[in-house]
Amino acid sequence: MKSLLHPSHWPLWVVIALIAAALLLPFILPWTYDQIDWDAVRAPAFTGSHLLGTDEIGRDRLARLAAGTRVTIMVAIAAALVSLIVGITWGATAGWVGGKVDEAMMRFVDALYALPFMFIVILLMVIFGRSILLVFVGIGLVEWLTMARVVRGQVMALKQRPFILAAEAAGTKPLTIVIKHILPNIAGVALAYLMLTVPQVVMVESFLSFLGLGVQEPLTSLGILVKEGADDMDVAPLGLLLPGGVLVLILVCLTVEGERLRDTYS
Amino acid sequence: MLALIVRRLLTAIPTLLGIILASFFLMRSAPGGPFDGERPLPPEVQEALRETYGLDKPLWEQAWIYISRLLQGDFGPSLVYRDFTVTELVAQGLPISLTLGGLAILLALLIGVTAGLFAAVKAGKMIDKSIMMLATVATALPTFVTGPALALFFGLWLGLLPVSGRGEGMAWLIMPVVALALPVSGAIAKLTRAGLATVLKQDHIRTARARGLPETKILFKHGLRPALVPVASYLGPAAAGLLTGAVVVETVFGLPGLGRYFVQGALNRDYPLVLGVVTLYAALIILFNLFADLIYGWLDPRMREE
Repeated sequence: MKSLLHPSHWPLWVVIALIAAALLLPFILPWTYDQIDWDAVRAPAFTGSHLLGTDEIGRDRLARLAAGTRVTIMVAIAAALVSLIVGITWGATAGWVGGKVDEAMMRFVDALYALPFMFIVILLMVIFGRSILLVFVGIGLVEWLTMARVVRGQVMALKQRPFILAAEAAGTKPLTIVIKHILPNIAGVALAYLMLTVPQVVMVESFLSFLGLGVQEPLTSLGILVKEGADDMDVAPLGLLLPGGVLVLILVCLTVEGERLRDTYS
Repeated sequence: MLALIVRRLLTAIPTLLGIILASFFLMRSAPGGPFDGERPLPPEVQEALRETYGLDKPLWEQAWIYISRLLQGDFGPSLVYRDFTVTELVAQGLPISLTLGGLAILLALLIGVTAGLFAAVKAGKMIDKSIMMLATVATALPTFVTGPALALFFGLWLGLLPVSGRGEGMAWLIMPVVALALPVSGAIAKLTRAGLATVLKQDHIRTARARGLPETKILFKHGLRPALVPVASYLGPAAAGLLTGAVVVETVFGLPGLGRYFVQGALNRDYPLVLGVVTLYAALIILFNLFADLIYGWLDPRMREE
């Protein structure tokens, strides 16, 4: 794998630059994302201190964009980690124990794959209120399936390797083998799939927020900004194009980078 | 083949039952009820309504009643649109959602397979790389961004297509279908390209070449069919994706399909409506997976089960 500094890793750098901008902008901008400038409602771009103008109630677009990106990325990382933990635990157990247990655990995963999952998530959101915590736990619990499958495959292949057999012969406890010898060896593949899970999660979070079921006001996320922009696009197309553009940029970059990482490991 | 269909339909029954029961209890553990509304009704009226709809009975009994009615094809009454039964609402919404989803999958197959074929024929060349890059970008396009963006460009700015609702003719279908089809077509292009790359290296293709068959015949007659097997197995998940995408597209373009009833029903605690839509969605996805398995066997005879 080429060094991360190599120009071919541009998608990763675009995402890092976007995150850095989203984190730093609040310190530079004179406006916060929920502050209303009564003198500049619906201001076009480059009006005074509003670089990208203001929205229909006079909130600074750039500040809102940065806030939305922060929330979306934060939810995505948290949810991807939930899916990573659940997926690795499930997959490693199934792959390591094998036999009937493996059979049952993987049938369960297959069955879940076939479910109209988005609808269960929507139901969950409607039912248990719309806290941000629930958003990422809910999404994470949906997105672990592929991770579990991949990890199981890897563990099953590793199990037959001499160094694992040697560790078993030496009487090492199974849990120790899994943690010390198996997990480090699947870290690369897991990382690649984690990278591919993040755009999935971003998509689900923005989808829920777009429907009004995800992150709630006064917090904002890219999904909410797209929704607000879409409602107001006949007057202010920037409101739709800016958050939509940032969202698509993040999704495309993460997908390109994640697929490349996956291809190097498989 | 018949055995496969029967067996799959039999395993579908517990799956469906599980989904219905899970959604039933999830829905019912939600705070609030269908009669909260904006103007709260007097407690006596609420009590009477709950009794009329059997909501005062124990939950398990209600679940039992719901399922036994469902077996007779009765989805029950809508608790919010009180003049309609769920069956009537679904009968209005289903054709719209099915038209959107069906056209989208056809368009996605058309674009995806063509693009994948081109890329595989020009493997390693610039055009191959550009097509694959475009396919990756397409898979990352969320319908809730492409939908409004299309509406902005072609509806508001160029004035070519209706921005929302169903106007005259079929023009209203174009933007929703394109927004739905784009991500699926990207995935299909990648699968077709990968499938063809594997198949074109196999012995039967070399034999066909050695016999001097024209390249187009090799490609279409011997190459494409087995190469589409991965595409067929993707159709199941794709159908699920299209149904969720349809929820957004119907909201964005103001189309009265199933997806809108689902979201509205969930927000209004219209229990029978939500259950009805979930049951239908689940049944559709199961049917589509079965359909994909049958295409599978047709594409590659080695996959046929005894």
